[in-house]
Amino acid sequence: MLQFQTTGFNGYAVKYSPYIDSRIAVGAAQNFGLVGNGRVYVLELTSQGILCPKFYDTQDAVYDIAWSEANENQLLAACGDGTVKLFDVNVAHQPIAQWSEHSREVYSVFWNQVTKDNFVTSSWDGTLKLYNPERAQSLLTLPTHSCTYSTEFSPHSPSIISAVTSDSHIRIFDIRIPASAANHLVHLIPIHGPAPTLANINTRANPLGPRPPPSECLTHDWNKYRGTILATAGVDQIIRTFDLRAPRAGAVTLMSGHRYAVRRISWSPHNSDLLLSGSYDMSVKLWSDGNAMSDASMVTPNLGRELGEMGAHTEFVTGVDWCLFGSQGWVASTAWDQRLLVWDARTIIT
Amino acid sequence: MSAAQQRLTQVSGHLGSSKSSGRAKILEKNPDDIVVTACLRTAFTKGGKGGFKDTAAADLLIGAFKSLIERSKIDPKLVEDIAVGSVLPPGGGATEFRAAALAAGFPVETAVRSLNRQCSSGLQACVDVANQIRAGMIEIGVGAGVESMSLQYGPGAVTEFSDLLEAHPAAANCKVPMGVLSEQMAKDRKVARKDQDAFAASSYQKALKAQEAGLFDEEIAPLTVKWEDPKTGDEKTITVSKDDGVRPGITAESLSKIKPAFAKDGSIHAGNASQISDGAAAVLLMKRSTAEKLGQQILGKYVAASIAGVDPLLMGIGPWASIPKVFEKTGISKDDVDIFEINEAFASQCLWCANELGLDQKKINPKGGAIAFGHPLGCTGARQVSTLLYELRRRGEKVGVTSMCIGTGMGMAAVWVAE
Repeated sequence: MLQFQTTGFNGYAVKYSPYIDSRIAVGAAQNFGLVGNGRVYVLELTSQGILCPKFYDTQDAVYDIAWSEANENQLLAACGDGTVKLFDVNVAHQPIAQWSEHSREVYSVFWNQVTKDNFVTSSWDGTLKLYNPERAQSLLTLPTHSCTYSTEFSPHSPSIISAVTSDSHIRIFDIRIPASAANHLVHLIPIHGPAPTLANINTRANPLGPRPPPSECLTHDWNKYRGTILATAGVDQIIRTFDLRAPRAGAVTLMSGHRYAVRRISWSPHNSDLLLSGSYDMSVKLWSDGNAMSDASMVTPNLGRELGEMGAHTEFVTGVDWCLFGSQGWVASTAWDQRLLVWDARTIIT
Repeated sequence: MSAAQQRLTQVSGHLGSSKSSGRAKILEKNPDDIVVTACLRTAFTKGGKGGFKDTAAADLLIGAFKSLIERSKIDPKLVEDIAVGSVLPPGGGATEFRAAALAAGFPVETAVRSLNRQCSSGLQACVDVANQIRAGMIEIGVGAGVESMSLQYGPGAVTEFSDLLEAHPAAANCKVPMGVLSEQMAKDRKVARKDQDAFAASSYQKALKAQEAGLFDEEIAPLTVKWEDPKTGDEKTITVSKDDGVRPGITAESLSKIKPAFAKDGSIHAGNASQISDGAAAVLLMKRSTAEKLGQQILGKYVAASIAGVDPLLMGIGPWASIPKVFEKTGISKDDVDIFEINEAFASQCLWCANELGLDQKKINPKGGAIAFGHPLGCTGARQVSTLLYELRRRGEKVGVTSMCIGTGMGMAAVWVAE
């Protein structure tokens, strides 16, 4: 296990570069992101350990980061003061572009992996914003009317945007459909499950007992292989997968084991069933949602399987990411313990 | 609030586990909460031989109303509507309950209605009144329940089924007698006689202990009535202040000797089913803002209720269907609940529901239930409110659920918070 100290800054996000196998970025904030500056670390994995050739300081906390999919030297930072900053590794200290449109904390930023020419942010101000890095203003604002902790583009479509919110819903937007009062919203999926009806209350086979109440959803991720599957997790500690082909059917798989809110999840880029999660319970867990198993039962929701746990962090785990390169299974995690850990997820499988 | 404080609030919101976030929400006090400022019941006495065997349902109700007015010191003029749940009286009891309210001291301006949702009538009455207040129809109301099973229990309670009803299988099942279908359910769901008897014995033991410790004294309003001594035929005036169904010396062992009542190879008998009883209960409800304006003492608040339908032949599973539903509405889970008052229509169904929902036995009916002190049908739902709130307050606990199964295949549940 390799480690890097983000001394004085509590980690909030970690992302491997999609271009360079030794490059990794960490977004962090002073004083647990409550008050103070933020910092973006651009790190190199070398034979001498993890080195930090570059870092960028920001006025307010950095809550999320995203590498550019179009330029291997650029990355975005989502900041507490409502700004999104684009940094270039070849330019010291200052961002090369900045957008100040959100009125509250920007909590998530995601670069379009298909067209590679735009990115989306989500904020506590209840909106998503779509930007082109070439343009000074955002292209589009999508309201969620609820504190939005996480947004992503579908990795399979250039125009599908997903978001999860504190109101316990997944929102799916399709920016191809004409602008209307629906604001491109195509699905609004209650994460805690469909409202109880006479039909489902008596027949519901819920392996986790009575359905949990709505709770804030903090993170989600699209499966990299199965284009209609995405996973969500948040305050109620349960990781769920949903199939967008049946948005009303409720969760397909439930993965229960974290003892506090789940702060970040990430599907494996190599295996369609593997999922990594970081939680306020200070652990990182590796899961299989069971779709690769031949005996997957037809009863939904299934229960996913916890494959292992990494317990080296000593504070809330806020960021996890998979390395796209090399031997499959290397991951990075960051936490409020001011450490970035780089480790092999295969070693924790029990 | 500063930005840092807002962020801290946001993050600490993530940490409150979901299990308690719903609880925290229902513990909040808001001016538009529907609160209980008085609740009480008469003692429950054995049908046909207890202290109320010669007392009409309306008279029990007068007793409960008078005590409610006396205890709460509410000006009866302020009560706009009264709902009375009752199952057996002909015509629903509409006439005599209105008369009872007048006789108890409510003015002609106070409206009264009777309602019947079988064993949940008393709860439905409280919920209806709470909803009327919440909707702005009335300011202050009384939810009540009453039943004189001594005088009104009998085959006349159900009218003959038409051919259309008889021809429909589920509809026809609605009139299968409770004992028969509970026997069937106990068999289907494999609730062993031994477990039923143990559950029933514990109900008796808990009730006895509670009675000896005086834990029912707060909820029971003593009532003085005329009573005919069956031996001598003399009419006496007696004051009834104790449930007379509670008796000492009952163990699972002693119950195991009783013959089954409904089938030779059955498991249900008089000792592990609810007793036939007489009694009345009443609950005074209003908004918190009204209660504070009037200086009423707030005992607790009504949070939400649910109703669920189930197969008529499996009516006993009603609580199992309705409790998760009310959890959905309130965002709480079973761990957030301190006490469950689940009506013990039969040990078999109450036990099955509790096990199926995975409820902690210690939280269920801590002062015993209908097996030990009786189930005057329409009264029970209103009775549970008093039993629950006073016990929660005594223990310094907060959240309670009342629930019961309902003949013809339904279940009802409500969440209450003691203050």
